[in-house]
Amino acid sequence: MQIWQVIAALAVIYLIFFILSPPFRSFDTLLSIFGQASILAVLACGTTIVLISGGLDLSVGSIFAVVGVTVGILLAEYELPVWVAVAGGLALGALLGALNGTIQVLTKVPAFIVTLGGLTAYKGLAEILASGRDLSRFPESFQAIGSGYLMPMAIMFVTALSTGLFLTKTRLGNRAFAIGGNAEVARLAGVPIARSRIYYYMLGGLLAGLAAIMEISKLNFAMPARGQSYELFAIAAVVIGGTSLFGGRGGVGKTLIGMLIMQTIIVGLSYMGVGTSYQRIAIGVIIIMAVYWDVWRRSVR
Amino acid sequence: MAADTARPILEATGISKHYGGIVALDDVDLTLYEGEVLAIVGDNGAGKSTLIKALTGAIPRTSGVIRFDGLETQIESPTDAKEAGIETVYQDLALVNEISITKNVFLGREIVRDDWLGRLFGVLDFKKMDSEIRALFSKLDIRIADIYRDAQAFSGGQRQAVALSKTVMFGKRIAILDEPTAALGVRESKMAMDLVGSLKDHGLSVIMITHNMQHVLNYCDRVMVLRLGRLSAVRKVSEVDGDMLVALITGANEGDA
Repeated sequence: MQIWQVIAALAVIYLIFFILSPPFRSFDTLLSIFGQASILAVLACGTTIVLISGGLDLSVGSIFAVVGVTVGILLAEYELPVWVAVAGGLALGALLGALNGTIQVLTKVPAFIVTLGGLTAYKGLAEILASGRDLSRFPESFQAIGSGYLMPMAIMFVTALSTGLFLTKTRLGNRAFAIGGNAEVARLAGVPIARSRIYYYMLGGLLAGLAAIMEISKLNFAMPARGQSYELFAIAAVVIGGTSLFGGRGGVGKTLIGMLIMQTIIVGLSYMGVGTSYQRIAIGVIIIMAVYWDVWRRSVR
Repeated sequence: MAADTARPILEATGISKHYGGIVALDDVDLTLYEGEVLAIVGDNGAGKSTLIKALTGAIPRTSGVIRFDGLETQIESPTDAKEAGIETVYQDLALVNEISITKNVFLGREIVRDDWLGRLFGVLDFKKMDSEIRALFSKLDIRIADIYRDAQAFSGGQRQAVALSKTVMFGKRIAILDEPTAALGVRESKMAMDLVGSLKDHGLSVIMITHNMQHVLNYCDRVMVLRLGRLSAVRKVSEVDGDMLVALITGANEGDA
C-alpha cells in the first residue's frame, strides 16, 4: 500500500465524522486526536522497525510498565535529577528489548513465544518493583515532558523523523528490510543477521521506554498496570498504516497515519456516543481488514 | 585448455557433509584452475548444491580442507568466502524481492558516507553506490534503467543478470554459480550464459552447477560429475560428449574418480 492511499483513507474517515458529528468539527478535537496518538505513536515507531525486520515484540507494553515504574522510583523515592531518571529509563527499555532479541538469537525460540514470555515476565517485574510504593508527585520539570499537547506532539514528530531517517538512510536501518524480506539471502550476502536483529529489538525497547516516560510525566504517577495491551495497539497502528506483518516492507510515516486513523475512529465514535466496547469491535474489524489487504496483495503477485 | 598450463587456484579435499545419519556429500575432491570454467553436473540429490554451500561456508562442513593459492584457508561463513575473493550466486537465494536493485547489489557491503554522518550513524552513500552500479551495468551490457525499483519488478533474466553482476563487482578471484539458467527462457538463458562466459574476461575463475549439457559443452573447460553424494568422474570437456555425460550422471557408466 502506498502512503498516499493511507493518507486518503485517513482523510475520508475524518470527513465522515466531520459530517456526522457537529462537536467533532472543533480544532480541540483535532488536537486531542494528536494528543492521544502521540504516546502510542512513539511506541509504534519501535514496533515498525521490529516488524519490518521480520520480528515481533509482544512485550513492549510490559517494558513500558517496567520503565514507568522504575523512572517513578528514581524520581519519587531516590529523588534523582530528572535527566538521570530519564536516561536510566531509556537505557532500561533498550536493555529489556535487547534481551528479547538476544534470547531469540541464542535459543531459536520463535519471536512470538519469547516476547509472549517477556510480556508476562516483565509485567511481573513491574509489579514487584512497584509494590508498597507511592510513585507520584514528580518534579515539575519532569511533568513538562508529557503534559499538554505541544511537547508530546513534538516528541512524536522528532521520534518519527529519526526513525524514518534511520530506516531509509542508514546501513543498519536498510538491512532491516533485507532481513525481513529474506533473512537467508541476507545471511548469504554477509549481513550479520543475529546482531542486527538484537539492535532492532533494542530500539523497540528504547522507544517503549520513551513512551512510558511521556505517559508517567503526563499522569504524574506511575503504576504497573499502565501499558497493558499497548503492544497490540502499536501493532494495529503499524498494520493499518500498511507495513507488512510479514516483514520487508513498510515505513514509519505509514505508522503515524495508521495511528491517527485509529485515534480518529476512537475519538469520532466517542463523540457520536458509541461506547468503548463497540469501539474495540470496530478497531478489531479494521485490523483484520488491513492484514487481509496485505495478504491479498501478496497472493496476487 | 586452461587446465594444462594453469595453476590451481582452489583445491578442496575430502569434503563431506552429514545430516545426522544421512551422508549428503562423501569425501569429494575439487580442483579449480586459474581462468577456467568448471562445470558440476549430477542428478537431483547428487549433492551439487550441498558441495558449493559447504565450499562457501553457507553450511558447516562435516570434514574437508580448502586450500586457496596452495595455502590452507578457513572458510566457515559466507563472509570468510567473500574475504577470500569468492563470490557465490545461490539458486533462488540471490536477491531480496522487497528491496531495490542498488540495495541488493550492495547488500552486506554497503558504502557508507565518507564523513561524520557515515562514521557515526552509518549513513549510506547512495549516490556513489548508484554510480558504481551504472558503470558496472554498462560494462557488462546489462540494460536495467530503473535501479531504484524493487527486485520483484524484474524478469527472471534481469534478476539473474543482476545476481551475476555481483560476482564481477565483488568477486576478486572466483565466481560460483548454482544453476544460473534455472527457470529462464531460451533467450534469457543465452543472455545469462553469455554473461557467464564473459566472467573469464573479468579475471574470474568459475564453478558452475548446471543441468544443461549444451551449456557444459559450449561454455565450460572441465566437468565434474557427482552421483549420490560422491565424485564419479572429472573430464575435460573436449574429451566428452552429451551421451557420455548422461551415462556418467545416471550411473550407466560407473566413472573412475
